[in-house]
Amino acid sequence: MVREFELPDVGEGVAEGELLRWRVAPGDSVSEDQPVAEVETDKAVVDVPSPVDGVVEELRAAEGEIVPVGDVIIVFRIDGEDEPDGTETPPADDATADSGQQTDDEATTQQAEDTQSEPAVTQRVQVAAPPSVRRLARELGVDISSIADSSLGRITESDVRAHADANPPTQDHSNQQTTAAERQKQQATSMQSVSSVQARETADRETTVAVPKTRHVAAEEGIDLDTVPTDERKDGEPFVTLETVQEYAQAQQQAQKKDQEAVAERAAADEPARPESRTPYNGIRQTIGSAMTASKYTAPHVTHQDEVDVTALVDARSTLRQEAEEHDIRLTYMPFVMKACAAALQENPHVNVSLDEANEEIVEKQYYNIGVATATDAGLLVPVVEDVDTKGLLEVASETNEKTQRARERRLSPEEMRGGTFTISNIGGIGGEYGTPIINQPESAILALGEIKKKPRVVEADGEETIEPRHVMTLSLSFDHRVLDGADAARFTNSVQKYLRNPNLLLLE
Amino acid sequence: MVVGDVTTSTDVLVIGAGPGGYVAAIRAAQLDLDVTLVEKGAYGGACLNRGCIPSKALLNGSELASGAGQAEELGVYADPTVALDEMISWKDGLVDQLTSGIEQLCTAAGVNLMKGTAEFADENKIRIVHQGEGQGSESLKFDHCIIATGSRPIEVPGFDFDDDRIVSSDGALNFETVPDELVIAGAGYIGMELATVYSRLGSDVSVIELLEQALPGYQEDVASIVRKRAEDLGVDFYFGYRADSWAESDGGAVLTAVPADEAAHDSDIELTADKILVAVGRRPVTDTLGIGAAGVETDAQGFIPTDSRCRTNKEHIFAVGDVAGEPMLAHKGSKEGEVAAEVIAGKPAAVDYRALPAAVFTDPEIGTVGLTEDEAANEGLTPVTGEFQFQASGRALTANRTEGFVRIVAAKETERVIGAQIVGPDASELIAEIAAMIEMGAKLQDISSTIHVHPTLSEAVMEAAQNARGKAIHRQN
Repeated sequence: MVREFELPDVGEGVAEGELLRWRVAPGDSVSEDQPVAEVETDKAVVDVPSPVDGVVEELRAAEGEIVPVGDVIIVFRIDGEDEPDGTETPPADDATADSGQQTDDEATTQQAEDTQSEPAVTQRVQVAAPPSVRRLARELGVDISSIADSSLGRITESDVRAHADANPPTQDHSNQQTTAAERQKQQATSMQSVSSVQARETADRETTVAVPKTRHVAAEEGIDLDTVPTDERKDGEPFVTLETVQEYAQAQQQAQKKDQEAVAERAAADEPARPESRTPYNGIRQTIGSAMTASKYTAPHVTHQDEVDVTALVDARSTLRQEAEEHDIRLTYMPFVMKACAAALQENPHVNVSLDEANEEIVEKQYYNIGVATATDAGLLVPVVEDVDTKGLLEVASETNEKTQRARERRLSPEEMRGGTFTISNIGGIGGEYGTPIINQPESAILALGEIKKKPRVVEADGEETIEPRHVMTLSLSFDHRVLDGADAARFTNSVQKYLRNPNLLLLE
Repeated sequence: MVVGDVTTSTDVLVIGAGPGGYVAAIRAAQLDLDVTLVEKGAYGGACLNRGCIPSKALLNGSELASGAGQAEELGVYADPTVALDEMISWKDGLVDQLTSGIEQLCTAAGVNLMKGTAEFADENKIRIVHQGEGQGSESLKFDHCIIATGSRPIEVPGFDFDDDRIVSSDGALNFETVPDELVIAGAGYIGMELATVYSRLGSDVSVIELLEQALPGYQEDVASIVRKRAEDLGVDFYFGYRADSWAESDGGAVLTAVPADEAAHDSDIELTADKILVAVGRRPVTDTLGIGAAGVETDAQGFIPTDSRCRTNKEHIFAVGDVAGEPMLAHKGSKEGEVAAEVIAGKPAAVDYRALPAAVFTDPEIGTVGLTEDEAANEGLTPVTGEFQFQASGRALTANRTEGFVRIVAAKETERVIGAQIVGPDASELIAEIAAMIEMGAKLQDISSTIHVHPTLSEAVMEAAQNARGKAIHRQN
């Protein structure tokens, strides 16, 4: 016996795979579960095991070929069987077999040729199904020999029905006969689907009996007989008369006209269409979208929000700004926040982590690479400044400026956007107080900065409380609740606040 | 256009009212198609008028006559007198009854009947020439056509049928008297059945056969049982000879047969005969049909190739029965007729039988279906067979007809029944059970587990199935 083996679903829901390498060649003996091929899917490289003990008869796919799941890739001959002709062309139907006093080669050849277009009549011996079941298979457009593989036993009516349900027949594979009349009907069907979507009270039968005249008229009118409602029956089959078809055609034309009028009215009544424009969703936009979607749907985000009095920082920055300008460095608040975050991460190392799901491990980074989310025309890019903890403020400022500039110019290499351990997003640059940033995976936390605003705040000095205008910045820290809890986030935020409230502490770093 | 020609039209035109054509016409009419059936002769075709039915009537009549005279063993002493003319007219009565029955069935189903000879004008039009001088003709347009023109006996050069000395099977079914000496050219099923009839009726029958076996095409162990029984009845066989010529001589004919292979036989033989029956086969009737005008193709032997839906190379023209190819069997033609009609009516019909049963009504009968052991092996199957001899059947013994056996062929792996050969009493009836089993995909055990009536010949079928599994009760396995 010959067994055809189809590429199984080697991963979950994998639709196709690249056949990397055959591990067997035709003529090789194989045992069950022995790997016969390596197949790479978009997820992994897997070994495909032999389902049987046998001999490799034929390889149906070439190395490097992309094979859809379900395609036959290899054919085995099962041990102890002798069937030299294989399964390719089953013997011709038995019109001539052992029944007359002569055999007729012409007839046999003719029958054999038929097997191509008519699979249901082949495989006389292999397919054990009673005549009523074979007829049903033709009615449902099921190639009965395709069921046989899974069933060494007799094929029953329910097998055929189950197969038909699982594999709705297509026009190509359908065994529905195609006489001239039938083709007209099929043409009528396709015309129908185009020309009159608005069929009124259509029936939807599988078969309809009608005299040829009726079929002609139906074809001319573009009517699918199976959709014509009727109560009449002939020999147990729905029967449609010429009059019914003509009435139906007329009714349909009217309905169609009415619908067209209705559509026209609606169109006239409506405002002119609102102007819209469409831009392709691709490139960086799509990459951002995918990254954001992946992050938001894998990491349970929690956002911890607080504010910090940065009056001292504002003073410090305005003092240092002059100095920096002498070095041709524009000093913003960002380098201070970066240094503050690096220091806070050192104090709270469990925030500087990523989750290695594959190995079920939490990876704590002992380096502090900080990404700066940068709005560009193409979208949000995140250049990474490495080892912020070891760099001086001006160095950080200079590198950040340079990288964000290049990001805006789209001249940043992909490497310069990788390897971050923490990300800062300055939403305040444009305006806004609090945000709920999305974590830049594989990092586990992201800090969004609000605009520094003067706000009245209670100031305690020398035991006296006064209300003074203070520079206040908001902090929104989103964290991955899989690896961090609210307390961790609060403690980390407190550390950041500490450094921003008193930037002199950064000198100790 | 012929003067006086009237053109009408029909949905389905069926040419020929034999078992393929009339069945197609009735089924098409049942499916509400407008059907016209054209027949140039008698309804029922060769089967009813010149084949199956009349030959069976004569076989039965002759068996009765010969059996009564050969039952001394049973204590029956008789010397029956046969009036062949009366037997033939009894037979003709049956034929009339059946053919008029078919005509009535067609009419009742709403089939339009037309008498005449059909000839294609083009691929959608046919001209029907009415019989007789001055009867004129008419043309008929059709949407679909089913060609069911059947077959006719093959003539051998030098032996033109003259309905006197040289007859076809048609003539041999209508002899006025039992010929003293009958020479039959051809030991196929027609020759063997008629040899059986006339040897039973007392003719001195000689059979000339080109090949070295009676019933070529059947397995040797099957055919030899029939040949031996025929020899017991007095039939002389000349294997390896070919009828070459004949001449009138002394109120009779002398036929000369020459060796087919001069190495095997070194001399001609001469046989005297009152009648010479030429039964070397049948050929399809496609030559008088103007088939080229319709663009329908035929093969080298004149058969019309068809697909499993009985379609010819022309989508709207179908061919069924003998004209569509071997084997020439009435029941095959009828099945094809049904299929063609249903396909025209838009039904998903197809010729998809698994096994085609066939019978030879010799003494004893042969019934076959599906594959022989060799054929199964050629198809790549591993066959297993089981046999049961009628010698061991109680019912066969009581009928005093113990020649032959039942052989069942199954696929070894699946034990599915894939064929059977039966030679013996009522083999033509017994084969039906196995045909049904094959169509149903039955296994040997399905047959052996089915209770068969005792005492009947059908028990032999059950025992053969059991034997194939090594479990027969009434024989050694």
